[in-house]
Amino acid sequence: MEELDGLPNLRSRTVSDRHIFANEEGRFFKGQHDLLSRIGSNELSDQELKFLQKRHLIKSSKLVKHASLFAQARRKTNVEGLEYLILVPTLRCNLACSYCQVSRANENAEGYDWDEATLGQITGLIKQFSGRSLKIEFQGGEPTLRPDLISAVLDAGSHIPDMTAVICTNLQRLDEEILTIFNRENVQISTSLDGSLITHKAQRTQDDASTSQFERNLSLVLKRYGPGKISALPTVNPNDPPEIDSLVEAFVSRGFTSIYLRPINYQGFARKQHPESIEQSGHWGAYYSKFIHRLIARNWDNRDQVIEETYFSHCLNRIFKPGLDRHVDLRSPNPVGVDYIVVDFDGKIYPTDEARMLSRSGIIDLTIGDIATGWDSPERRALNEASTNADDPDCQNCVYQPYCGRDIIDDISRYGRIDLRRHETNFCKRHMSIFDLAFSLIYSNEDAVQYSLRHWLGLSGDSITLGESI
Amino acid sequence: MIPLMLPAVSDAEKPFVTRLSKNRTDSPWESWCIESSESQSVFSGENGLFQIVGPGIQDLDGDIVIVTPAAGNAERIIRAGSTQNSLLVTERCDQLCVMCSQPPKKTHHDRFGLFVQACLLADNGITIGITGGEPTLYKQEVFQLLETVLKARPDLKFHVLTNGQHFETSDISQLRQELFRKVVWGIPLYSNDAAEHDEIVAKTGAYERLHQSFDTLLLSGAKIELRTVVLQTNLNSFPALARHIAGLLHFIEQWSVMQLENIGFARNRWDSLYVDFRKSFNPIAQSLDVASLFGIPTKLFNVPLCHLPEFHRNFAVNSISDWKQRFGEKCLMCSKKETCSGFFEWHPAEMLDEVSPL
Ligand code: SF4
Ligand code: SF4
Repeated sequence: MEELDGLPNLRSRTVSDRHIFANEEGRFFKGQHDLLSRIGSNELSDQELKFLQKRHLIKSSKLVKHASLFAQARRKTNVEGLEYLILVPTLRCNLACSYCQVSRANENAEGYDWDEATLGQITGLIKQFSGRSLKIEFQGGEPTLRPDLISAVLDAGSHIPDMTAVICTNLQRLDEEILTIFNRENVQISTSLDGSLITHKAQRTQDDASTSQFERNLSLVLKRYGPGKISALPTVNPNDPPEIDSLVEAFVSRGFTSIYLRPINYQGFARKQHPESIEQSGHWGAYYSKFIHRLIARNWDNRDQVIEETYFSHCLNRIFKPGLDRHVDLRSPNPVGVDYIVVDFDGKIYPTDEARMLSRSGIIDLTIGDIATGWDSPERRALNEASTNADDPDCQNCVYQPYCGRDIIDDISRYGRIDLRRHETNFCKRHMSIFDLAFSLIYSNEDAVQYSLRHWLGLSGDSITLGESI
Repeated sequence: MIPLMLPAVSDAEKPFVTRLSKNRTDSPWESWCIESSESQSVFSGENGLFQIVGPGIQDLDGDIVIVTPAAGNAERIIRAGSTQNSLLVTERCDQLCVMCSQPPKKTHHDRFGLFVQACLLADNGITIGITGGEPTLYKQEVFQLLETVLKARPDLKFHVLTNGQHFETSDISQLRQELFRKVVWGIPLYSNDAAEHDEIVAKTGAYERLHQSFDTLLLSGAKIELRTVVLQTNLNSFPALARHIAGLLHFIEQWSVMQLENIGFARNRWDSLYVDFRKSFNPIAQSLDVASLFGIPTKLFNVPLCHLPEFHRNFAVNSISDWKQRFGEKCLMCSKKETCSGFFEWHPAEMLDEVSPL
C-alpha cells in the first residue's frame, strides 16, 4: 500500500454488532472492527482505501483539508444575537398539575404578574429589536390569564418582518379575547396532551369538569385552525408510562403527526420526593426505543401518514446535516443568554426555563441579569465558559460528539456540579442511547425501518442508502 | 419573447449608456422620450437625439441601454423591473462544452467601461448577471468592475457565471474583501469522475483545475452556486456526484441541477444529449435525496412540473426568464402554471404538447 498523508482521524463505536466509524466532521460509515488498527499499521485493503479516498476521508489535497475544517466549524453552534424570547407574563395558573410545583402560583395570588415597569422594559426591548426574525414563546404560569400582556408584546413587535409567537397554554380558558390573539396569523398554540383523557386527567386537569373543558377547547381550536397551528406535547412519567398505542392514538386521531415525548422533569422539592428521577435513563430508554419502533411499524402499515417523534427526528437529522443548531437542548457550544433568554414574571432573566425553575426552587440562583439592567453579566460569561463538549475528554473520544451537545443547566440541576464525568451524566446516557438507537436503525435492513427514517429525514420513501458500508 | 436588441439610429460618435425615461429629466445619465408611437420612440439626452425602433416607450421606460451608433442598435442591458439581467462580457472561452448554449467566438470587444456605467444606473437592490464566453479570461477587468460598482452601489448583487479555470491563490486577498460577499459565482461541475467532466467540457485537466479553484474560493469565503446540466452522458453519475458534493463541496450556497436547453450546440446534438425526465428520473431523484439528506440546498431548473414525480416537484423552481419562457396550449388548463418553469422559447415545438396538466 502506498504511503499517504492525511489519514483519517476516526472514532468508533459498536452498535448492535456493527462497527461504526466517524470523523471529526461527523461523516460516518460502517467497517471492519479492526479498521483503526490497520490504518495505524498501514494495512488497509484496496477497497477500504478506495472508499476512504472517494469519500474524501483521506486528506490528500489542500481542498480536502480546508473543506474538512469548514465542516468541523459548521458543526459548532453559530449564533450572534437574540432570536428567541421566552416570556413569563404571569406565574399564576388555573390548574395545579402534579409535576408542576415551582413554576406556578395560585390563580388569585397577587404580585405574580409583570408590573407596568417590567412590561415597559420588555416592550421597549422588542420595539428596539432590529433583526429580521424573532420568535416569542409565552410560558407560565398560564399566559392566557393575561391576554392584555400578550397583546402588548405582540403589538410591540409589529415592525419585525418575521416574528412568530407560540402561546403555551393549558387551554382551560378560551374566550373571545384569547381567540382574537389566536386568530393572528403568526401565533401558534402549544398545549400539553399527556395521552388518553384518563392519563391527562390524572397528571394534569384532575377533575372531570376541567378535563372535559380542555377536551372541548382543544377540539374547538383544532376545528377552527387545523392541526398546523397547534402543537401538543405529552409529558410522560417514565416509571409509569402510558400504553404506547393509546398515547399515539390520542395524537393521531386529532390530526397531529409529530409527538414530542418528554419525560417528567422533576425539580427541587419534587425531585427529592422522586429520587429515581435523577437518573431516568434505564426505564426511559427502553420505553423510548419501543415507542420509536412502534411508530416505524405503524408508518409501514399505513403509508398514508408518517408519524414522528420530534426529538428523535431532530437527533437523526443532526447526524447528517451540520448547522442544525437552533434546538437549544442539543448543540455545542451551547451559549446561554445569547440567542435566547427567559424573562420571568418579576423581570429576572434566566438562561433557560429549567434554570428558572431551579432558581425558583431555591437550589441555586441561575439568574443572569434582569430586564431593567441587562444580561451581559459575569454570571453569563461564567456559564458560557463551560458550555461546550469540545474540551471534554469523554466527548473527545465519542463518535457522537459532532451531533451531540452540552446542557450545563441539566448537570447543575441533577448533580449540583458541572464537572461530573460526562459518561456518568444523565445527559450523556440519554443521548448515547438515542444515537445508538439511531445508528442501529440507520443500518437496519428492514424496509419498514428505512421507510420511516427516510421520511423523518425529509426524503422520499424508497430511494437512497442512508448508511454506507465499506 | 421580449426583444433585447433593437434597431437604433444615433449621430453620437461613440457607443454610450443611458437610461430611458418617459418623463423629462435633467439627469445627465438619462434620456427622455420626446416622441413615441407603437413602432418607434425618439429620445433626447446628453448624447443628442436618437431613435429606437420596436416597442413603444411604455415598454422601454426605465430600461438601461447601450446605444451603438456604428452598429445601428440599442441593447437593453438592464431592463426595468426584470430580475434577470446579464452582461455578456466576452464571447471567448477556453472550454468547449458539448451542450454550450452560447458557443464561443474568437474575437473580443472590450466594453467593460460601458458595463460599469450601466451597473451604476441600475435600480436599487437588483442582482446583475455576468456571463460569457468565459468572463474570467478577463479576470482583472471583471474583478475591477465588481469592485468599482459595489463600492459605489453596495445595494447591488452580482452573479458571475464562470468555468472556474482561472482563480489563483493570489486572488484570495482580493476576493476576501467584504464587498465580494455580494457576488455569487455560478460554476459548472458535470461529474465526480474527472475524465467524464473533462470530456463534457472538452478540456483535459479541467476537473483538477476546477478543484484547485474551489479551494481558492473556499479560502476566500466566496459564495458558490454549483451548476450541473443533466445529459445522457452524466445521468448515471448523478448519485455519486451528489455524494462528492456532500463530502467535499458542502460549502457551496446551492446546487442547481439543470435540464438541457435546446440552443447552441445542444440543438444539433439533442437526441444524444437530452434526458426525458418522465422516463429516466431515478438517478436525479437519488441525487436530490442525497443532497437534501446532507443539507445541501438543491434546486431543479428548467423542468416543467408535470415532468417530475410528485415528491420531487418542490425542488423545481420557476427558473426560465420571462423573455424566453413558453408554455404549451394544454398548459392553460393546468393549476400549477403560475409556479411552473414551462419551456424555453426555443424548445422543440412538439415537446410543448407533451405536457400533462396538473
Ligand atoms: S455527552 Fe456523551 S454521547 Fe454526547 S458526545 Fe459526550 S460522550 Fe458522546
Ligand atoms: S401542464 Fe404546462 S404548466 Fe402544467 S406543469 Fe406541465 S408544463 Fe407546467
